[in-house]
Amino acid sequence: MIDVTKLYRKLLRLYPASFRQEYEGAMDRHFRDEQRDAQGWKENVGLWTHALSDVAISAPRELVREFGQDLRFALRVYWRRPLSAVIAIGTLAFAIGASTGVFSVTSALLLRTLPFGDASRLVELRFSPFSAGNGHANFAEWRNHSSYLENAATFSTSEMNLNSGRDALRVRVTETSANLFSLLDVQAQLGRTFVPEEDRTGKNHVIVISHRLWQQAYGGNPSLIGSVAHLDGAALTIIGVAPSRFDYPGNVDVWAPTVFDFEVIPKHGAFIWQTIGRLRSGISISQARQEFKADVAHVNPKSFRPDNSPIPELIGLRDQLSSQIRASVLILSSVVLLVLLTALANVAQLLLSRTAERHRELALRSALGASRSRLIQQLTVEAAALTMSGAALGMIVALLVARVAGAVMPAQLATQDYTLLDWHVLCFAIALALITGFAFGIMPTWLIGRIQPSTQVARMHFGTSEPVTSSLRAVLVGLQVAFTLTLLVSSFTIGSAFLRLVHTDLGFQPANAVTLKVSLEGTRYQVGSAKWQYYSAVEERLRSIPGVKAVGAVNYLPLSNSVLMAGTIQMESGPKVSGVVLNGSMPGYFRAMGSELIAGRDFGFDLSNSPEPPVIVNEAFARESGFGPNIVGRRIIAPWTSRPYLVAGIVSTARMAGPEYEGGPQAYWPVKEEPPSALTFVASVSGDPRHYLTQCRDAVVGLDRSVPVYEVKTLDQSLSETMERPRFYTTSVLFLAALALLIAVAGVYSTSARAITQREHELGVRIALGASMQQIRTLILRQGTIPVAFGILAGIAGAAGCGHFLQHLFVGINVSGVMSFIVPSLFLLLIAVGTAWSATTRVLTIDPIEAIRAEH
Amino acid sequence: MASIIKGVDALLPLSLPLFHMLLSLTEGERHGYALKREILQRTDKRINLGSGALYGAINKMLEQGLIVESDERPDPHLDDERRRYYRITPLGRRVVHAEAARLRALLQLAEVRLGIPDPV
Repeated sequence: MIDVTKLYRKLLRLYPASFRQEYEGAMDRHFRDEQRDAQGWKENVGLWTHALSDVAISAPRELVREFGQDLRFALRVYWRRPLSAVIAIGTLAFAIGASTGVFSVTSALLLRTLPFGDASRLVELRFSPFSAGNGHANFAEWRNHSSYLENAATFSTSEMNLNSGRDALRVRVTETSANLFSLLDVQAQLGRTFVPEEDRTGKNHVIVISHRLWQQAYGGNPSLIGSVAHLDGAALTIIGVAPSRFDYPGNVDVWAPTVFDFEVIPKHGAFIWQTIGRLRSGISISQARQEFKADVAHVNPKSFRPDNSPIPELIGLRDQLSSQIRASVLILSSVVLLVLLTALANVAQLLLSRTAERHRELALRSALGASRSRLIQQLTVEAAALTMSGAALGMIVALLVARVAGAVMPAQLATQDYTLLDWHVLCFAIALALITGFAFGIMPTWLIGRIQPSTQVARMHFGTSEPVTSSLRAVLVGLQVAFTLTLLVSSFTIGSAFLRLVHTDLGFQPANAVTLKVSLEGTRYQVGSAKWQYYSAVEERLRSIPGVKAVGAVNYLPLSNSVLMAGTIQMESGPKVSGVVLNGSMPGYFRAMGSELIAGRDFGFDLSNSPEPPVIVNEAFARESGFGPNIVGRRIIAPWTSRPYLVAGIVSTARMAGPEYEGGPQAYWPVKEEPPSALTFVASVSGDPRHYLTQCRDAVVGLDRSVPVYEVKTLDQSLSETMERPRFYTTSVLFLAALALLIAVAGVYSTSARAITQREHELGVRIALGASMQQIRTLILRQGTIPVAFGILAGIAGAAGCGHFLQHLFVGINVSGVMSFIVPSLFLLLIAVGTAWSATTRVLTIDPIEAIRAEH
Repeated sequence: MASIIKGVDALLPLSLPLFHMLLSLTEGERHGYALKREILQRTDKRINLGSGALYGAINKMLEQGLIVESDERPDPHLDDERRRYYRITPLGRRVVHAEAARLRALLQLAEVRLGIPDPV
């Protein structure tokens, strides 16, 4: 049988410590009296109902009252020593704020669902056997008979010229099967999205535009539905505006259902198809993956050839969207976690010191009858007040960190409309604060367990050495040093990699150059010799601007994120060179870019007097061909015309994707031979290139307003965009390491300083017995340095263990160098020793007579 | 003196359970359960104080100095040492008087306004 009074006593534990200590016995007695007086089951049920409701109402009331008292007491305690409280709150605010800020980005990226209906069942099919290239009927057949997909959409995205009556614009267009919107379960904000048959020939002259384009190009005018816009010259009717939060597959301005009918909008060049699908319900990703691979193997066995052909894969859409920066985000989160741990160790150390300082007060209160749980409650409330204030201030820091991190990091996340600080993040911060508050509540508790009122009060007049707290504090200092060193090694490694990037030879000079793009698609210059006439006119106009030194043009400009097409080129005599980017250039391009012409010469404008057309290769090409500098004067067979071309010169290898990535082999043919429909012009100028931007743009726009002139910027600007990610990671890691260093230094200082206050009596005796100040200082210093040394050893082990993860941040990070361990270790040791030494200046203020007298 | 009166006023109005408890204590010392029984009887079972509410109120009155814990205990074989006995303080008496006066004034005002005849 259940002992009901025992049950009631258990209920009484809900009351706060002090109240319970005072009235537990009386309340228990009270309940027994009531129980004795209750007769029959009805009255007993009434008794319990009453008792339960009584506890439910009065226990919270007493808790609030008592915690209020504890809080007021805590504030008085902190008010007496405000500096350490301020330091602790500040440290916590920074640590909790930084962690929360980074977590907000992590959570947005990795944890939240996409803004599509039932997004967890959406997958991307890489190298699917069926794309739009198979035609409408085949695609529909495959889609409808899939065992693992309920529905699938295919699309291809490219840049086009949009002409809606005003200035021409360059826009990104996704040509898709008509079911993209319905697959993602997205409705139009204005008008409608596509209906099923609108991807068929004859019905596909419609488009949906993005909210952004609607605002920018149409001023948000709702009556644009039904109006006609020209994409690369093709007339299409606007039927809808997508909602502002929808941007899939990313940075898209226009969606057109023309993917099965590429004739609607004229095309040149190659395309990249993408296929996404929605899994049938009840099918898991791994199950679907197997069926997809079987599907590919069945339809197209060649996909499994053991050469370099792409491997088919089916992955969740969320993973696909976050895959590029997933590793970086996780690394940054770990770095922030290290700072958080450093800060927590520091605050724990501080609280421990304070509890130790108040040992006597607590012992006295304990001797006067305060129960252990009463003292624990008081200390927990004090710790919670500190951490909660830290967390509240940390929210402001989090907001700033999230804003910066959100602005710089997840460019790919444009697809997802999300708020950085939402309830996930708030819960995270509160949990963080609660855990730290709880942890700091537990530690003093553990100390209190060791307080023996009688012995402590008896020893009140003698110096207490507190061996337990001292060694615990040493461990905490060691931890701070270890975490900090791990961060310092990381920042040293990443910092030197960044410096290497900055000083990388790009193969061209990014300073003093203005670049701009023009596209003739859908304009009247698109045909015949008009293209070259237009390009020559642009070249002439740019060259005539005062201050412009050289002008050139190219198909693919370095640092412009273009999709490069590579092919294999056969030397007339000798080997093939594979992976060659075929690039067209105009005479003067290399001079305008500041690229070095290593051998031979540039093209001239007049190609008529050379029997064979010239081609210029880069150094990488010359090296891979095996001819080296002797390649000049040899012939290559151009894959596009199968005619021989004469190698006229060798130019330095440009790093197309920025300093992180080596440049591959390239061959430049004279664009005049067959002008492409779009070109990027480069003008090298004297002085600050930013002052030339408007002038260059106006000069080209003035030629013909129907041709879009876009991406007008300096080459330096493009470089700095490429470097944005490395720069962000480097700055963050350096900043966080500096923060940790500051925290650790404060920890080392306070331990040494505390060691002196604590042992003032003993030191006084030593001085009185003839020890010199230097000897005393050396003694304290030696003891202070031991935990630092252990911390450094642990930190080296930690950095060596987790250093290789850093390599995911950007290319060129190398953690194997011994210097990257030695330099930060020595730096930290020096700073720690210096700090501890400066803390020992307090020894000089000890008056031995006072010190000895004060203790008796 | 002025500060005591001001102190008394600051404690008013008393909550009904508090008023009843102080009123009982004016008749002599009581332990918690006895207070509860008495109030239950007097209010026709309308105010039934649970132990949490009772000792919460006692705790408050102790802090305000309206009552003190009594050292005198009854005969040991009638007593349980866990029972706590309370006694009203002079301040407690003044407060309960002031509350009664306040209630009377309120009642008189109501009689005049509502025209309730004096009991004969």
